[in-house]
Amino acid sequence: MIRGRRSVVLLRHLVLVLLSAAMLVPFYWVLKTSITDENIFAYPPHLLPTDPNLFSYVDVWYLIPFPRFLWNSVVVSLLAIAGNLVLNALAGYALTRNFPGQRFATLLLLSCMMIPFQATIIPAYLITAKLGLLNSYLGLALPLLSTIICIFVFKASFEAVPRSLVEAARIDGLGDLRILWRVMLPLSRAAIGTNVILAFTWSWNNFLWPLIITRTVSMQTLPLGLANFLSYMENTTSALYAFVVMVLAPGIAVFLMAQKEFIRGLTSGAAKG
Amino acid sequence: MRRWRAWLLNRFVVVPVVLALIVLGWNIYVSLHAHGVIAGEVVDASGRPVAGATVTLYHLNFITEVKTGETRTNGQGRFRFTDNNSHLIELQAAAGGATSPRVTVRLWFRAQDRDLASPLTLHGLAPAS
Repeated sequence: MIRGRRSVVLLRHLVLVLLSAAMLVPFYWVLKTSITDENIFAYPPHLLPTDPNLFSYVDVWYLIPFPRFLWNSVVVSLLAIAGNLVLNALAGYALTRNFPGQRFATLLLLSCMMIPFQATIIPAYLITAKLGLLNSYLGLALPLLSTIICIFVFKASFEAVPRSLVEAARIDGLGDLRILWRVMLPLSRAAIGTNVILAFTWSWNNFLWPLIITRTVSMQTLPLGLANFLSYMENTTSALYAFVVMVLAPGIAVFLMAQKEFIRGLTSGAAKG
Repeated sequence: MRRWRAWLLNRFVVVPVVLALIVLGWNIYVSLHAHGVIAGEVVDASGRPVAGATVTLYHLNFITEVKTGETRTNGQGRFRFTDNNSHLIELQAAAGGATSPRVTVRLWFRAQDRDLASPLTLHGLAPAS
């Protein structure tokens, strides 16, 4: 009986390992090509890297304004993360309070999630232009300063905090802002981690909005730089893949650092009731 | 004290700090080894040094190459560029109507000092009498 159960577990793990390996093959191929000077059309393709070196990374660093693109992406991502943490925490906390129209506000936010960004891009552009923020860091981060999904992540996390704690804090004389800062946020580290990862990933990978509002190469972010690189470079597969790895690496690093909080944040409140 | 320790010794602080230290160390190394010196030797097919050969330096891009410098070898067949500011270069030697194959040199950073391990070889050069 036990042996049968063990073999089922073993088989399940074997299938999972094979599936994971299949998922990782494209990443492996990108990484492998980036450290060799192999052309994508080389035949027969080599499974293992031959004569590996990191010179393609050096080429990408110097031959395109990579440091500038990197700096722009980092600044925009930090702005997006800061905006998400502050605005979403405030909004999420507000939605846990009882006030006239609370249900309507929640439904309004939920219904706004159904509208794709492409449908609102023209008004977003016009508002950004009116504010004089075209071709600026704040303008690049503006649509991502608050995201509805992240508001609900905070809301679910705040609702999991026992009401008695909040009431006790209120009896001690704390106002709403201090309850949020002193009670809610320290107990919502998973939601903060989720917000950081989602805000970072969305702003890091954002392509359409920067494409529309940047006017100069010096304000372009990494995805735009990658698209430009793709459009005018030929026969530089290893450099292109090195560029891809350099774009992906920070996102993967942030995810690996905060994955525990991320998963906990997404599932918090999911098993309630 | 314990609270500060918990704040400082978590992966969100340790990983960026380690990365920052690596970047700092690398930049110090680069600043100490980036004088733009490219040195090497020109020899004939039999391996003897060639004096007075012209060595040309090209800067490469993904799609272009630009001639940026020229120098001559000394009595020992040695040459030296002191103002290279690229990380991807090509060198070619010429003397007495013979030329060497272009040699691509890939450096780890701009203006890295490098003494070429193998010489530029002039093929088809008449042996010196």
